[in-house]
Amino acid sequence: MKAPAQDAGERRLVEAAQKDPRRFAELYENNFARVYAYVVRRLRNREEAQDLTAEVFHQALANLGRFEWRGLPFSAWLIRIASNAIADRWKLAAREHGNPSPGEPSSKDVSPEEIEQRARLFRLVETLPNDQRRVIEMRFAQEKSINEIARELGRTDGAIKQLQFRGLESLRSQFEVSARQSTASKSAGKAGRLNG
Amino acid sequence: MAKQNLSEQLDQMVEALITRPAVARRQREPKAKAQLQALARIAGELRGLPREDFKARLKADLERRTTMGSKPAVATETRQTATAYLCVKNAAAAIEFYKKVFGATEIMRLVGPEARIGHAEIRIGNSSIYLSDEHPEFGSISPQTLGGTSVKMNLSVPDVDAVAARAVEAGGKMVRPVQDQFYGERSGQFEDPFGQVWMISTTIEQLSAEELQRRVDEMTKQGAFTQAERKPDEKATPAVRPIPEGFHTLTPYLAVNGAARLIDFLKEGFGAVEKFRVGKPGGKLIMHAEMRIGDSVLELADASEEFGARLLGNILHVEDADAVYQRALKAGATSLFAPTEQPWGDREAGVKDTAGNHWNITAIRKTGHRTDDTRAILPYLSLVGAAEFVEFTKRAFGAEETFMLKAPDGKVVHARLRIGDSILALGEAANEGAAMPGALHMYIGDVDSVYAAAVREGVKVLRPLREESYGDRAAVLQDAFGNWWFPSTHVKDAQF
Repeated sequence: MKAPAQDAGERRLVEAAQKDPRRFAELYENNFARVYAYVVRRLRNREEAQDLTAEVFHQALANLGRFEWRGLPFSAWLIRIASNAIADRWKLAAREHGNPSPGEPSSKDVSPEEIEQRARLFRLVETLPNDQRRVIEMRFAQEKSINEIARELGRTDGAIKQLQFRGLESLRSQFEVSARQSTASKSAGKAGRLNG
Repeated sequence: MAKQNLSEQLDQMVEALITRPAVARRQREPKAKAQLQALARIAGELRGLPREDFKARLKADLERRTTMGSKPAVATETRQTATAYLCVKNAAAAIEFYKKVFGATEIMRLVGPEARIGHAEIRIGNSSIYLSDEHPEFGSISPQTLGGTSVKMNLSVPDVDAVAARAVEAGGKMVRPVQDQFYGERSGQFEDPFGQVWMISTTIEQLSAEELQRRVDEMTKQGAFTQAERKPDEKATPAVRPIPEGFHTLTPYLAVNGAARLIDFLKEGFGAVEKFRVGKPGGKLIMHAEMRIGDSVLELADASEEFGARLLGNILHVEDADAVYQRALKAGATSLFAPTEQPWGDREAGVKDTAGNHWNITAIRKTGHRTDDTRAILPYLSLVGAAEFVEFTKRAFGAEETFMLKAPDGKVVHARLRIGDSILALGEAANEGAAMPGALHMYIGDVDSVYAAAVREGVKVLRPLREESYGDRAAVLQDAFGNWWFPSTHVKDAQF
């Protein structure tokens, strides 16, 4: 799915971070949204998802020396760490509750496309105009009511609803654009391979 | 209207998603428009959005580990000993500005109540800078509130002209243009939109200490530094008058419901001129307005949660009481009493304005009644315990009695006090319901000592003494008679 140039760039980044752990920040920046998107999709709970995402990156940093480049993206390695950590959590929970077959709510694996999509959406939120971003963040991440947000920001309820509307609207339109672009580049890649 | 409706419908769907996700999933409203359904799908994907500060916190945490894990020499290299800590209004916007102009990277931010940033770290080049939003309650005050900064930030950058261009484009103001300097740098200075001042420079010559001294000596001989002291961009700040232009010691302050309507009334009814008005964010309400009638200023605002409505009685000195009375009624006032010849010779009429303030429209007929300090507006307080109030003002504000008429029972019928260059009239209210304490803005030269004296006299502090963004050092006090006082000293001229 990735262009070879991107692969090479990522490989250099991983190798740089293996030599100097301070370079890990770049790998983190590039992969945060993906890992979080995967984890929150599996756990469906923000607090737990945040905890587990932190655990994944701490483990990745500690074990970075063991990572071997085998042509798979770095994020695949991170997702595997996440998947194992989630499984461990469920085993632990099952033991504590004395339940041999834990009812894990979403044990079926999440498709890479789905992770990619949600990660893209989370990244798009960061690029919204300030006031829209704040409202979306307070509404969805902090789960505040319209009235609470209005009071905190010194605006009317109506204004906040408008900002929420505009924020979701610009996310929708950008989301569609970036989705189109990624399909376009995918088919372009296929075409390139066929011609080459 | 249609848009309003859509945002309302969308919010109902979002509310359901957040509070009852399972139900919302089952009942995807089939009737909703395709547009709304598309937005609701996006909203559904956003459930679980991480908190804004989480990503930055985790990054900072990982970075701490990577620096701690490596050799100690590296750790001391990256952790600088001295770090500037900037306090700004709207730290989030400032971080964006520094990213855009300096290529800063955000290391972390901690967001506190009211979405204020309690602490943030950014990195510019090889240096860290800390910053936070203004927190006056903890003594963190921004240059915008202070009206300037005494600390300048100095940045060595690879291309000073490019940084200056980006700064101006992003809303910075050049304080000193970029130019080659004798000390081997090309440098300039700008003020960012948050009041921080940045000196930016690029080294253009490597100079030895000897060469530098030689140049300084040469320039001293030419008198360059004495000229430099008088550079136009370094003019001294003029001392400000402690009482702003046009104001007197006392100015009546009307906190009302319907300030905009009252402004119109004052213009039509009393020929007032609007000098200044600033609205509250996001509405038609007025945060502060100043009106001039003749030689007097009147301030007013819409009542707020912090400061409810506070009406005031006023004596309005006019030439023709009958004409002004008629004009006032036409402009929407209600009559309290029709024009009357008073036993003391003046002709007076009474009206209640659109907000409920009382106005005694007075044409002074007897020459002796008009004195040097008679101004167009004379604030009048109707109080329970007027005699005690007079004593209180003497102790707290150094008031002087200029007129006192008491009834046989000792109650004040009419009194006049001088505070600074202004007169205040008052009398005993017929009963508690008729009392009409007021709000008075008081400009004095030394607000600190007046504040201290008033506090000693047992006033309630509604807002402690502090420097306000509009250039006054001011407090809000409430005396035992229900009056509000805004003792203030104007300390600098600032944009509201």
